[in-house]
Amino acid sequence: MKSTDFLGMICALAFCASALAADAPKLKTEPVKPTPVAADLDAGKKLYQRWCAQCHGNEGKGDGPAADFVYPRPRDFTLAIFKVRTTPSGQLPTDHDLFHIISEGLPGTSMPAWKKFIPENERWQLVHYVKTFDSLGLFKEEPAKEQVVIDAAPKMTPELIAKGKELYQQKKCWQCHGPTGRGDGPSSAGMKDEWGFPIRPVNFTKSWRFRGGDRIEDIYRTFTTGFNGTPMPSFVDAIPAAEDRWALAAFVKSLARPQKNAQVLKAGNIAGEIPADPYAKEWEAAEFADFPLAGQIILEPRWFKPVHDVITARALYNDKEIAILLEWDDGTNNTGIGKPADEVALQMPVQASDGVKPYFILGDDKHAVDVWRWSAKDGLQRYTAEGASKQTPREAGGVVAQGGYKEGQYRVILRRPLRVGAGETAIEPGRFVPIAFQLRDGDNGEEGLKMSLSTWYYLLPQPATPLTVVLWPLGIGFLTLGGEFWLLRRMRRRPS
Amino acid sequence: MRRHTLYIAIMLWLAILAGLKFGVRPPMPASVLMIYMTLSTIAIILFAAADEARFQAFLAPLRAVFEGRAPKAVQLLVLAGIPLLAGWGAWLRTAPSWDAPFEPRVVHPEPPSTFNFHGKRIDTASLKNPLRAAHEKDPAQLEKLTAEGKTIYYQNCFFCHGDALAGDGHFANAFSPIPANFRDVGTISMLQESFVFWRVSTGGPGLPRAATPWLSAMPVWQNFLTEDEIWKAILYIYAGSGSTPRTWDEETKHEKH
Repeated sequence: MKSTDFLGMICALAFCASALAADAPKLKTEPVKPTPVAADLDAGKKLYQRWCAQCHGNEGKGDGPAADFVYPRPRDFTLAIFKVRTTPSGQLPTDHDLFHIISEGLPGTSMPAWKKFIPENERWQLVHYVKTFDSLGLFKEEPAKEQVVIDAAPKMTPELIAKGKELYQQKKCWQCHGPTGRGDGPSSAGMKDEWGFPIRPVNFTKSWRFRGGDRIEDIYRTFTTGFNGTPMPSFVDAIPAAEDRWALAAFVKSLARPQKNAQVLKAGNIAGEIPADPYAKEWEAAEFADFPLAGQIILEPRWFKPVHDVITARALYNDKEIAILLEWDDGTNNTGIGKPADEVALQMPVQASDGVKPYFILGDDKHAVDVWRWSAKDGLQRYTAEGASKQTPREAGGVVAQGGYKEGQYRVILRRPLRVGAGETAIEPGRFVPIAFQLRDGDNGEEGLKMSLSTWYYLLPQPATPLTVVLWPLGIGFLTLGGEFWLLRRMRRRPS
Repeated sequence: MRRHTLYIAIMLWLAILAGLKFGVRPPMPASVLMIYMTLSTIAIILFAAADEARFQAFLAPLRAVFEGRAPKAVQLLVLAGIPLLAGWGAWLRTAPSWDAPFEPRVVHPEPPSTFNFHGKRIDTASLKNPLRAAHEKDPAQLEKLTAEGKTIYYQNCFFCHGDALAGDGHFANAFSPIPANFRDVGTISMLQESFVFWRVSTGGPGLPRAATPWLSAMPVWQNFLTEDEIWKAILYIYAGSGSTPRTWDEETKHEKH
């Protein structure tokens, strides 16, 4: 770090501190709770070297052997800047805060919840040891004395959420986080953290990635204390009333839905045309499934730091064609200018399955895959792939793509006639067709094998439920009822 | 007490069902649960019927309903409830689930007798970890090699197999089957190092057909790592997951206190 940056940071800290002092009455605080376990730095060091040094480095600089392979980068402890805290903005975390981070991990990063693996006593030793990396001696000189009081959360009512929505507009949260909360605001591009590493505003619809946790109390705490070292400030000054911050937390919480993973993408049958508009009510009503993605780290160039972690899919079919709607959030719309274009691909085996699926990354020399690739620059391109190194463009045939980018999200429909000739994957009601997904974020420099991908799942055009399925239960129900009446008449006639 | 025989029987039946369904981890297959519940039903009825007076008490509430002595609401509830339950039971059996096709998979298949590694044939049966064999009597050297293996692990494996070697890395949930949990007694601790070396070197594509190779996302590590590096990483996954505590005595003792 350059010395000017360093000075700047000190000034910023001092500024924050003085601003806080002036506004102190606004924020309800209480004395920091005592640390329950005394330090044993030798024990802490051993534990640290065993479980933490691989990412955070032996000297706590966030430069361990795995540091270059994860995003976001592991925390550099030497400046004692920590995001998830209960202390006012700009201040150090409490020991309990550090303990909380070690125990619960940071969702959306490679920092796991260590409470599953390391006993409580040892996690406290890690808290003590991590503090020894503080090169400025801040933990000794100005440890946190007060922590923010987080009261019981109010009930999430529609009124509270509406009020939060208004504040979201008014306080310009959308400038970074976007009008729909997908992290695509006008100021979101090119942001850097305290260390100069790129950082993006969080997507509020992906609550499983909220660093501080996604309970309403966690979101409230983030607004109140800010994330030190990042562009996310404390909103205590901008939104002084705690009930307003609760309203904003409720609104943010309302933007997210939990992931709904499935092994099978079920295509529902509809009577009329399948709409070309991905926002049409037929699509909104279609059942969705989320498919988690991982970085492609198997073939060179290996891609350890993908942006996309999930793709959402829906499918519909009628008597003529099948259509698959792919949805994914992307804070940036890259159409191939300066950076690669954003891309999505759907892959399925060319041949009907003989029990052996093709290799999940673009097939293999014995089992080819049909790839429908849509790019924000060129639209649909179709390939036959027999392994990553043997991809042959082919005619689109009947395959059509529709859709594009809107409000921080791509929605792309890929459709194909049901009845096709030879050389096409058979798709018909009741048949399970293997499918896999690939996503590329141009802003992150993703192209070719630099991508997020899934392994094989299934697409199933769901057949109409046969009548016998309903007849059996009905028949058995009525049979039982008949038996009852027979018994009833017999028993009521007979004097007991 | 005797008046309540039927209700006690029903509660006992429900308690057994709840205990088997929610109290047993990992959950038992539905067919096994069905067998247990059938046996329980028979046992309860046999017990109730073993004593004439008890059996009469057991039947009394039902008789009251069927003979029309019970309150009208209760009669309606029972008489409508029984066919509904029977119909619902039938629906559970006939309703289409549209679950993914069942793909049986051998988790630890028999390794081939020989396999290709960097162009040479390796004989699986006689394969031993050369590093462990060479430095058996030199724990310091073994510890150094293990530490090198740790770096290899965290630059190649931990994304899927996890920071704490529990198969729960940040990419893990994108894969089905999920990556192996090295802390689990059913994985590397029950396997020979030669088997692990074969799995690491040839990855998912090297699996025999019985193990449904196309499902495993395990890379072919001989494409990226040398023989030495793979053996070092294997040293680490054993040591790091506590499967070979003798070489990491100090650390494992420490973990236990």
